[in-house]
Amino acid sequence: MKPDEKDKIPLFKTWRQWYIFVVLVLLVQIIIFYWITEYFA
Amino acid sequence: MNQLDWIVLITTLAGIMAYGIYKSRTTRNLDGYFLSNRSMPWWLVLLSIMGTQASAVTFLAAPGQAYTDGMRFVQYYFGLPLVAIVVCVTFIPVFTRLKLITAYEYLEKRFDTKTRTFTSSLFLIQRGLSTGISIFAPSIILSTLLDWNIYWTNLFMGGLLIIYTVSGGARAVAYTQQLQLVIIFAGMFIAGYYVVKHLPANVGFTDALEVGGKLGRMNVITTGFTEGKGFDWGDRYNIISGMIGGFFLLLSYFGADQSQVGRYLTARSMTESRIGVLMNGIVKVPMQFLILLVGILVFTFYQFNKAPAFFNQKELTRLEQSPHRQELVLLQERQQVIQEQKKAVLTEYGVSQSEASIAQLRVLQGSSDSVRKAVQSLVKKNGGDDNDTNYIFLRFVIDYLPVGLVGLLIAIIFLASWGSIAAALNSLASSTVIDFHKRFSRKEASEEYDYKISKWYTLAWGLFCMSVAMFASNIGNSLIEAVNLLGSLFYGTILGVFLVAFYCKSVKGTAVFAGAIVAELLVVLLFMLNEYGVIGLGFLWLNAIGALAVVGFSYVAKLVWKN
Repeated sequence: MKPDEKDKIPLFKTWRQWYIFVVLVLLVQIIIFYWITEYFA
Repeated sequence: MNQLDWIVLITTLAGIMAYGIYKSRTTRNLDGYFLSNRSMPWWLVLLSIMGTQASAVTFLAAPGQAYTDGMRFVQYYFGLPLVAIVVCVTFIPVFTRLKLITAYEYLEKRFDTKTRTFTSSLFLIQRGLSTGISIFAPSIILSTLLDWNIYWTNLFMGGLLIIYTVSGGARAVAYTQQLQLVIIFAGMFIAGYYVVKHLPANVGFTDALEVGGKLGRMNVITTGFTEGKGFDWGDRYNIISGMIGGFFLLLSYFGADQSQVGRYLTARSMTESRIGVLMNGIVKVPMQFLILLVGILVFTFYQFNKAPAFFNQKELTRLEQSPHRQELVLLQERQQVIQEQKKAVLTEYGVSQSEASIAQLRVLQGSSDSVRKAVQSLVKKNGGDDNDTNYIFLRFVIDYLPVGLVGLLIAIIFLASWGSIAAALNSLASSTVIDFHKRFSRKEASEEYDYKISKWYTLAWGLFCMSVAMFASNIGNSLIEAVNLLGSLFYGTILGVFLVAFYCKSVKGTAVFAGAIVAELLVVLLFMLNEYGVIGLGFLWLNAIGALAVVGFSYVAKLVWKN
């Protein structure tokens, strides 16, 4: 396995940005699910 | 099953087998056999992680779960994106920089041999037994529904994949999982399409969801709080237990279970490994949502069509031949009346969209649920298995899907099973070879010898798991429950040991060893109290308590030793 430092991170500049993206995706999913729950209730 | 179904089933399974053997060429050493020379791109790591996590029961149980309990099961996976982040920040850098093959090697570097051996043993016991059960669980469902011999079904479910898993190791496992997932997703999509197609002409996809929603099945987000009673700790699936309890369970699975660690360590760089894990965190929740949605569609379908009072036909037939026959007939007649009334109300609702029809529909659904419960209790009284959740989706497939597609859906059950079992066998063999055989053997061994012995261990674990499945066939479903239980009891403790290793730098080996044993006893005690009704605690919380208890007790043990 290559050392991580030599690899370019795809899509974002830092891993922190990746982590924020993952959390945001989760939050968006929860909001959509909440809307679905209310809409079809 | 029709002749065409058999052709589709056999061709699909034989194709996967041939592909697995074709992809078997690997370097003849431990890194090549267990980690595919750490050469995989992120997307293959992602598919391998998904293929390992999704077992046959995932595709059988999830639609059934949605049918009986609604969509809220999806909340169980809400902790997964957060787990992916923790694994990327803490676990992956350590495991890859140290060039480990198993996660438990790290515990010896950080603590001592006994902690490594203890944790690896817990993994081997739990994973070995649960893999045997993941052969038996789908086999018993298929053999019941299709009247197949359980021993032959076990043999096909758990035996054929041993050939390519032994010959190709991690590489064959990853490549076959990729193909398996493509077939599985295509099949599930087609199944969903056919459920909608079988609905009445004036009922579309959103109408089906509306009916499901009005009858309480579109409960994707639930809080676990009930008016006047506060938070229900015994409630299994809600956003809080999913985010916290699910987080600890899944962190244990992705951080401390070799069957998953072994997947992301096959990546060709730490970056590819991280992207694979993070992408799984992103796609898993929507994927699970869609599988559950198929269950909602099946639920709506059965609002317009005659639903069996109990979906396991074998148990129903046994009941018909028992002294409870008369009670069953009365319940079935009652179910039939409710069904007719529901149909009329649904037609009325389609015209008027009135609140009164919805209220009426809910009352009828309540009555229908009571009839189902009454039949379930009769099945139990008759000495049978009263849980028919896993039979719901496949019953629909067999009764209503066109010829050829039934064979494909049955093949999907096999493929989903093969994906998770193959990864489990590979991880069981790697832990046995690395944490025990090579660790305690005094003989200097060549790479060729290591490679050969790894193959033998894979074969031995395959045979062991098959034996567990065959044994389970003799004693029935009680073993499934016992093994699932074993997993929930051990997982928190295993994770706790890793949490101490990563985050509590001042704690040493003996303290964490003592802490783990006391924490395990606490988890068992809480479980017993829950079983006897003294406390009400959902099983997801046991993992969180176990993990945090190891951390706490390790600190206490450290202080005791110091003084």
